[in-house]
Amino acid sequence: MSAQAAHSLLRPRPSGLGPFLVLSIAGHVLLTAGALGLSWAFAGPPIDLEQKPIKASLVRLGKPRDEKLLPRKEPEPPPAPPKPAEVAVQAPAPPSSAVKIPSKDAKPEKAPDLKKSLFDAFSKASKPAELEGAADGDPLGDSAVQEGERYHGLLQAVVKRNYDVSDTIPEAERRTLRAQVSMRIDAHGEVLDVRLAKASGNDLFDAAVLAAVKKASPFAPPPPHLADELKRDGVSFVFTP
Amino acid sequence: MSRLAFVVLAFPSFALAQQKVIEISGANFRPMPLAVAAPMTQDDAAKKVAAEFDSALVYDFSACGLFQVLERKGYLADAKEGVTAGSIAFNRWSDVGAEALVKTQLSTEGDTIRADLRLFAVGAGREELKVSEVAPAKNLRRLAHKLANAVYRFYTRETGPFETRIAWSRKSQQGRDVYVADWDGKNAQRITSDSVNVLPALLPGGVAFTSYRQKKPFLFVSRGGGEPTLLLAKGAMVTGAAFSHDGKRLAVSVSEGENAEIFVANADGSDAKKVTDTKFFLNTSPTWSPDGKKLAFVSNRAGNPQIYVMGADGLGVKRLTFQGNYNTTPAWSPRGDVIAFTARDERNAFDLFTVNVDSGKIVRLTQDAANNEEPAFSPSGRLILFTSTRTGARQLHVMTVDGNNQLALPVDKGDYATPDWAE
Repeated sequence: MSAQAAHSLLRPRPSGLGPFLVLSIAGHVLLTAGALGLSWAFAGPPIDLEQKPIKASLVRLGKPRDEKLLPRKEPEPPPAPPKPAEVAVQAPAPPSSAVKIPSKDAKPEKAPDLKKSLFDAFSKASKPAELEGAADGDPLGDSAVQEGERYHGLLQAVVKRNYDVSDTIPEAERRTLRAQVSMRIDAHGEVLDVRLAKASGNDLFDAAVLAAVKKASPFAPPPPHLADELKRDGVSFVFTP
Repeated sequence: MSRLAFVVLAFPSFALAQQKVIEISGANFRPMPLAVAAPMTQDDAAKKVAAEFDSALVYDFSACGLFQVLERKGYLADAKEGVTAGSIAFNRWSDVGAEALVKTQLSTEGDTIRADLRLFAVGAGREELKVSEVAPAKNLRRLAHKLANAVYRFYTRETGPFETRIAWSRKSQQGRDVYVADWDGKNAQRITSDSVNVLPALLPGGVAFTSYRQKKPFLFVSRGGGEPTLLLAKGAMVTGAAFSHDGKRLAVSVSEGENAEIFVANADGSDAKKVTDTKFFLNTSPTWSPDGKKLAFVSNRAGNPQIYVMGADGLGVKRLTFQGNYNTTPAWSPRGDVIAFTARDERNAFDLFTVNVDSGKIVRLTQDAANNEEPAFSPSGRLILFTSTRTGARQLHVMTVDGNNQLALPVDKGDYATPDWAE
């Protein structure tokens, strides 16, 4: 080959494009497969489109009151609107032995949705957390609900809400008053018996603490692990003013 | 560890027999729901006075702050129901929310009236107290106050406010006059009948006040409702008299030119000593601590009127209020813990507040009810008497020390000012 022909543009030359293309395609395939694999591995729970949206609104806090100004009384919250009377008309329950007949357009039963059941469990567990905190409590502290037995915290809160004592009790006596009420409740939260286990010596105070427990009943059904204990041994409330 | 596990496993009942104990404190103290049945009368003469007796008794229970007197319209019991426990349908009283029930009977014997009161515990369905009192017909309201006091004492073991005295000054054609009356403003006795007489201060058996009756406004005293006599004449004006709780000493503000200083004297006006000394400033409205060791007063030494506290000898002056720029008319609670005062807030409304003597914490008692001024504590410290323009004219009102249960005194409309309250 002449030197001229060796420099011709038409002469085939060796090229690295082929292996580069092969490597590039293989790399992209691997990357895509990896990304898909990772997204599959860390995929979140399926989105339930029927779930109601959670509405959140931002509230702007008012300007703090000038410390040099005299205090103002907080306006009392308006009374809760009366609940519409619910007319509970219960359909007669089918006998337990009855066999369900699927309707024409019935869909096959879905397997229980784990995410939904978990969500429900959290929402149930969070109910006692709606209770008011103690006025003298630590604003940053854990709630009593979290700290102690949740159900006992619930009992304490609902009884305290009904713990009304007459102003007529002498102030000097208030420092030493102490009364104990024992009660037993059934699995539905209904009071089986309630009695004054230790009297304070002041009839008005004793009547008030008994009334506090009675007015608070019926209670929420106790959790299964406490139901037997509360039915057999009951629970005691120690009241001090 | 294994032993403990054995005990728990072998004797599970031992572990389970431990009853869970829940501690509950922080009671909601509230007035006791009380039903007061209309008095039963045993003769025509008693029937004529029953309404007045009833109004006194119901006012006493309503205004003392311990009871929530239930509206009589809502009562379910038979109006002719008896007055003994056996004849009372207690369930009808508990149905209206009553925890206690008061029943009274009136009868006349010549010029005297006999009143019987029975107090029942509605829940227990039993009689708790039975009291009988006899009084001349003219003292009908005082008869009701005695019976109310018996109920008050039954519950609190304290004497109620019903037989205490109050004083005020009221606008008249000649100027202003001083009156002394029962705690509900009834049986008012006019102490002065000419000139301008203001700022009454009750003392055992009498009342002192600033009067212009001898041209210059000096301090006068009337004992037993008699003719006023001069008690203290000093400087250009003597105002704001306050007697210590033991009745032995007197604190006043003496003005001279643009200056006003606090003086402490014996109760008869002798041996007056100046205990403040701030040239060009005002020091007024002294009020004694219950132990007689300290005085609270108003001073504008910081530029605007504020409440200050000092020893009765004038030493250890300390400013107590730092909120608001117009704080006046302090009244030291007989319990010692707080001082009530009038303040003008940023809306230019005059309202009542208390300031804790130790912490300086200020609590508002009145709000959004026109102007409320000039507090005076009841002798027990449970109640505060004050003036308010919420009904138009400046009227006397009473409330509990925390600002609850604000009620107008059952007196005719007029311009009432600077009340005082004593045993």
